[in-house]
Amino acid sequence: MSTAATTPPAPERPLPTPTRESQPYWDGLREGRLMLQHCARCGKARHYPRPVCPHCFSMESTWREAPLGGRIHSWTVCHHPFNFFFKSMAPYIVALVDMDAGVRVNAPLRGIAADALKIGVPVRLAFEPVTRDVMLPYFVAA
Amino acid sequence: MAHTLRDKAAISGIGETAYTRGTTQSGLALQLEASLRAIDDAGLNPRDIDGVIPYFPGGGIAEDFIANLGLPDLALSVFIPMGGATCVAALQTAAMAVATGVCRNVLISVGRTGYSGARVATRLQQFPQFAMAAEFEAPIGMFAPAQLYAQGARHHMELYGTTTRHFAEVAVVTRRHAILNGNVVMNKPLTVEEHHASRMIADPFRLFDCSLESDGGAAVIVSASDHARDLRKPLVTIMGVAEGHPESPASIAQRPDLLEFGLAKAAPRAFGMAGVGPKEIDVAEIYDCFTFTVINQLELLGFCKKGEGGPFVMDGRIALGGDLPINTHGGLLSQGHVVGLNHVIELTRQLRRDAGKAQVKDAELGLVTGYGDMGDGSVAILRRAA
Repeated sequence: MSTAATTPPAPERPLPTPTRESQPYWDGLREGRLMLQHCARCGKARHYPRPVCPHCFSMESTWREAPLGGRIHSWTVCHHPFNFFFKSMAPYIVALVDMDAGVRVNAPLRGIAADALKIGVPVRLAFEPVTRDVMLPYFVAA
Repeated sequence: MAHTLRDKAAISGIGETAYTRGTTQSGLALQLEASLRAIDDAGLNPRDIDGVIPYFPGGGIAEDFIANLGLPDLALSVFIPMGGATCVAALQTAAMAVATGVCRNVLISVGRTGYSGARVATRLQQFPQFAMAAEFEAPIGMFAPAQLYAQGARHHMELYGTTTRHFAEVAVVTRRHAILNGNVVMNKPLTVEEHHASRMIADPFRLFDCSLESDGGAAVIVSASDHARDLRKPLVTIMGVAEGHPESPASIAQRPDLLEFGLAKAAPRAFGMAGVGPKEIDVAEIYDCFTFTVINQLELLGFCKKGEGGPFVMDGRIALGGDLPINTHGGLLSQGHVVGLNHVIELTRQLRRDAGKAQVKDAELGLVTGYGDMGDGSVAILRRAA
């Protein structure tokens, strides 16, 4: 009889499951770019991705690279890890940012202390590989 | 012209199990136990139920009610996928069903093993409404409502100067009310200092800003008012009721105004149907998944102006004996989390003048809200019929 394993398996990071609508967004992140869906008829950006433009109801869309700058809209500091994977990272700040491109992005914020945060503080989106295929966004000071 | 649904339906029966942490019963068993109590409270036979709106997911589905209660001719089976806004929104659906004659007695019920079964972060993955959050927000470390709603709370604090002292007031008053009820999970007094010393969950929310993960079942029966008048208990009618859905309903992050959600649309419709305003409400049971959520809803309901919800809850105003007693049973924060059906039950009890030590004197008109998913809202105005 073999001895029991002494090290439990490391908890797995929750990963996105791209859909047919969102695949270009995740492909963009993997290349270090913020790609956003735009209506092909009226030109408005929409995020998160979806099949129909809620402004003009067109089903045609194009994907455009967006600038990485934005300003803090709000934030939280996550202390309790609701998923075991994040236990070693807690506490971590998650910033909700008004991107210059006109949509919001929610992502971890690094390099700024929570007590220095205010609505309007400028930040910039950066990218971090978490698996061979998945790159996730985070924010740094602008 | 009076609204066609106004006062056409009544809450004819209420029932709940013990609220605990650590049951051996299934969610379905808890739901059926509460349902049998509600049916008995109304003076009905289980076979009189011809419509069911079970909270989903968790607990049973129509097939379970037919199999366990021997329902001979179920005419309506509905799920309302609005999370915490489900139960009060179900009052609207049930009222439509009994007012039109599709049903006579609709059973709304919840059975939950929120403590002994799947916990919150796991449970939410079952909701199709959380698919966007699962794809875009869970990978960056945002899973639970406490985290997703914390950004709205922080935004309110930054814009209006709301403080955690205001949050604590909601927690402390709610606990005081819970102790008067008796059937509660949290039965020891809570001080402001204990609130401030509790561990941080998702800043600005501490442990005592968050609702309970608990086990329990709850049920109410909605009957046509002309039929409910002949039943066992004093008549409590649904004077106004509405549900509302926010912009960007599947993602708080993408909502233009983090502090404006479904209730903002539902409230004027419900008050309009009832033909009354906030000033006439004697008692309110406000969905309290988080302390701040209560403050935010009091603003959207028009009890105070936008941004003034923090100061509004201070100085005894929301406590028994104050201008607007709220959550007189202990709410989700201190009684138990049955998705707010306990709020509907408590309001009915208040209007029957059957609320024991927590009774609001001469309560005639009351309001109850639901708040769920990523900001769906629902509100009902109930009254004690003359």
